[in-house]
Amino acid sequence: MMNLKLSILLILAITLFSCKENHEEYHNIIDKIEANSMAYKKDSTFSNNQFEISELTTVIDNDPHFYIKNRKSEIESYACSECHNKPVSQLQSEDLGKKAHWDIKLIHADDKTMSCLSCHKDNDMDNLHSITGGKIDFNLSYQLCAQCHNKEVKDWKGGAHGKNISGWQTSRVSKLCVECHNPHNPSFEKRWPARYNTQMVEQRK
Amino acid sequence: MNKEIKKWFSLNLGNKKQNNCGCSDSKCGDQAMVKNKDGVAQVFDVNMDRRQAFKKLTAGLMIGAGAVSTSCSVVSGEKSKEKSEIEWEEYFKGNYKLMTDEEKNNTVDRLVRSYELRTGSKINISSKDAEKDVLFGYAFNISKCQGYMDCVNACVEENNQDRASQMQYIRIHEMNDGKGLNFGEADDTYYHEVPAAGHFYMGTQCFHCDNPPCVEVCPVQATWKEKDGIVVIDYDWCIGCRYCMAACPYDGRRFNWSTPEIPEQEVNKNQHYLGNRLRKKGVMEKCTFCIQRSRAGDNPACVEACPTGSRIFGNLLDPESEIRWVLENKKVFRLKEDLGTEPKFWYFMD
Amino acid sequence: MNVLKNLIKDSLVYLTHGKKSYHIWMAFLTFLMLVGMYCYSLQLDQGLSITGMNDRVSWGLYISNFTFLVGVAAAAVMLVLPAYVLKDFDFKQAVLIGEGLAVAALFMCLAFVIADMGGPARLWHMIPGIGVFNFPNSMLTWDVLVLNGYLFINLSIPFYILIMRYQGKEPNPKIYIPGVFISVFWAVAIHLVTAFLYQGLQARPFWNNALLGPRFLASAFAAGPSLIILVLAVIRKFTDFKIEDKTIKKIAMVVTVAAQINLIMLISELFKEFYAPTHHSESAYYLFFGLHGKAKLVPWIWTAISMNVIATIILTFHKLRNNLNILYFACAILFIGIWIEKGFGLIVPGFIPGPWGKIAEYFPTAAEVGVTIGIWAMGAFIFSILARTGIAIEMGIIKYKK
Repeated sequence: MMNLKLSILLILAITLFSCKENHEEYHNIIDKIEANSMAYKKDSTFSNNQFEISELTTVIDNDPHFYIKNRKSEIESYACSECHNKPVSQLQSEDLGKKAHWDIKLIHADDKTMSCLSCHKDNDMDNLHSITGGKIDFNLSYQLCAQCHNKEVKDWKGGAHGKNISGWQTSRVSKLCVECHNPHNPSFEKRWPARYNTQMVEQRK
Repeated sequence: MNKEIKKWFSLNLGNKKQNNCGCSDSKCGDQAMVKNKDGVAQVFDVNMDRRQAFKKLTAGLMIGAGAVSTSCSVVSGEKSKEKSEIEWEEYFKGNYKLMTDEEKNNTVDRLVRSYELRTGSKINISSKDAEKDVLFGYAFNISKCQGYMDCVNACVEENNQDRASQMQYIRIHEMNDGKGLNFGEADDTYYHEVPAAGHFYMGTQCFHCDNPPCVEVCPVQATWKEKDGIVVIDYDWCIGCRYCMAACPYDGRRFNWSTPEIPEQEVNKNQHYLGNRLRKKGVMEKCTFCIQRSRAGDNPACVEACPTGSRIFGNLLDPESEIRWVLENKKVFRLKEDLGTEPKFWYFMD
Repeated sequence: MNVLKNLIKDSLVYLTHGKKSYHIWMAFLTFLMLVGMYCYSLQLDQGLSITGMNDRVSWGLYISNFTFLVGVAAAAVMLVLPAYVLKDFDFKQAVLIGEGLAVAALFMCLAFVIADMGGPARLWHMIPGIGVFNFPNSMLTWDVLVLNGYLFINLSIPFYILIMRYQGKEPNPKIYIPGVFISVFWAVAIHLVTAFLYQGLQARPFWNNALLGPRFLASAFAAGPSLIILVLAVIRKFTDFKIEDKTIKKIAMVVTVAAQINLIMLISELFKEFYAPTHHSESAYYLFFGLHGKAKLVPWIWTAISMNVIATIILTFHKLRNNLNILYFACAILFIGIWIEKGFGLIVPGFIPGPWGKIAEYFPTAAEVGVTIGIWAMGAFIFSILARTGIAIEMGIIKYKK
């Protein structure tokens, strides 16, 4: 009898003792995020060590958390009017030979949708122009892309599209559309993958 | 959460330097004095004093033995004596999770010095802790991944993975259009022009689950979830039983079946103790969301390297972060959600 | 302590003398152990890459043997239970042999675990107090506790009985009976806990089912006593230790029932996997039929199942079971069949296909097999020592002389 009692006590002790460590009170990760975000405070000033604020442009007005780099300083031959003091049509008729970007091909949508004049006005080459004729600064060229690619630009402003070049912690600096997509030929070339894992292939033989 | 291990399971021997109060370090002398004087300590930490005594005794024994073994050697030079001393102390240190800040600094110093003795070059190993109000999350855009595998290369270079076994934390699967998320019929060892017609690409790696099964099963708690959500491994504490590898549903973990070899010039010298510092054979390793980068405010190497911007990383607790925007505005899903692991790695499409 | 000293001295003298066949046997085992140690030294030097394991199939021959041997160790209790609880004296002679087998099997288990570890020098990390012992979360820690506890019980109880007999005294039931009771429950615990190691992994659907634990118990109680029967047959042949036919026949009953239950459980598993196959059935398909052209394990599992079925049929018929020679044959093939089933038929397919559906097959390398054989030889060596000493004390050959 004594042995039986001992054994039962032992089993009871084991079952009571064997509960797993208490897990956190959240049922899933979304609940946890929502609960802990309420304590989160973000400062409203610009904070980034890689870039100077002078080289950045804000995207959304008065939003100190999303920037892009100034585009005009990156374009090799801006301002266009320094060379283009005559309209493009006139330049093309003069036999000037092969000057800068003489061979630009427009491989962007079809010719019913896009031509050079869709974005550039030939008497104001220092700015881009919208469908309605309004001026769009080169630094804010995404506004031009947004005319057709509104969904992508919305995603880009939120952070789901494009490339973050600032890291996760500080104010966000993203690449501008044209830094990945050449506006005259935006599609990406095919290429080969960066590696081939022969070990994994061996293991599966 | 994880630091609240019941103390009576997890006594650690700690660093002998802390206890060796006869040394020139005056700080530790004061510490010991404070411990004896403090009334609170006297009342509540009676066990601590006994533990201290035990620690000191065995520490003394080991220092003695170590000192004898290293200093009595007539043949070996100064450098190899120092090397053996470092190896000796490194062997007896405790679990990183339970170390005090001083112990952490000491082990980092030993590792840096050991590398310098071995190769002559300097590395820096960080022991930076998790920041407050940070919980890392990751999102992967299936529509954008083109299968370039630039992320895989960047990860291997950043994290000092073994070259001989071609270890890679990230796997890129070439999935079939129309077949859905059928991984069995996908190909992750493709080598042809990408993106191939009729396919889409998905990357997998450690998903840093919020309810990680690998952490549950480790018999020595060599792997745990840090406060900022990163699941890490203390490489020196791991005993190599590979139970965690069996428990992971996502193939997140890699084992060093032999000694990892990285060419000297390719070693990434910016390291973190829990991240990309050099590992030894017989221990587990895995993606750490590039802890050496993410705790310094940078994106992980894979996020940085991706040319198409398919990888998104950020602080889940920051309501204005990209990752939060994705979770709130995109149709996201995770893999094997029915297993209850709560991975912090979401997939979405444009 | 004089008694202990004398016991050790007398045992050593006794163990180093014997018939030629004994010496040849021990020399053979020693040779195999040396081979195993050499292979293990290669493994310590180069790492586990000399085995056939890889990142997808991370447990192989070592853990298969470990799992199987825990079952064998647990089965010793099948003799303890009737001997002491049911007071069936026919079993009493077999008990010491059974417990000796359990000890040998446990040492083999520990050896396999250490052989499988990537960092055996860091084993001290598991000791509570100076290391970190992740109890009760990790099932491995439970396994460490129950296995070591069982080893302690199986060493201390027979040791107590033997040292009493050595002195010519009668062992006090009040001391060993509680231990016997505990060991009965404990034996079930060790194998159930080992099963839970695998059963608790939601990542491996081949193992994550409710039947794994009971299946382990059934196959253990079939394989363990089979080995005991074979060992008793050897002891009968080579020593003067009297073991009656009816003892062996009673153990055979235990084996029969366990083998039948094992088959029923197998049928249940096959039904679940193949009646309405899901994505989770892929491991079973790989094991029984091959998957995407990969079929390395198919001949193994079918051999194992045929052996189990044939053995169970033989054992079911009284006429066949009571014929000792046929019994020994049935026990041998049952033992081997269950060994294959629990090893290659359980551990390896759990990892195939991998978490993302890829199949990387596994086959042990020569070094791995070398270490395994070495550890089996070590177990046989330990058992030979324990059995021989135990029998000698029981028969009064070794006696304490004041």
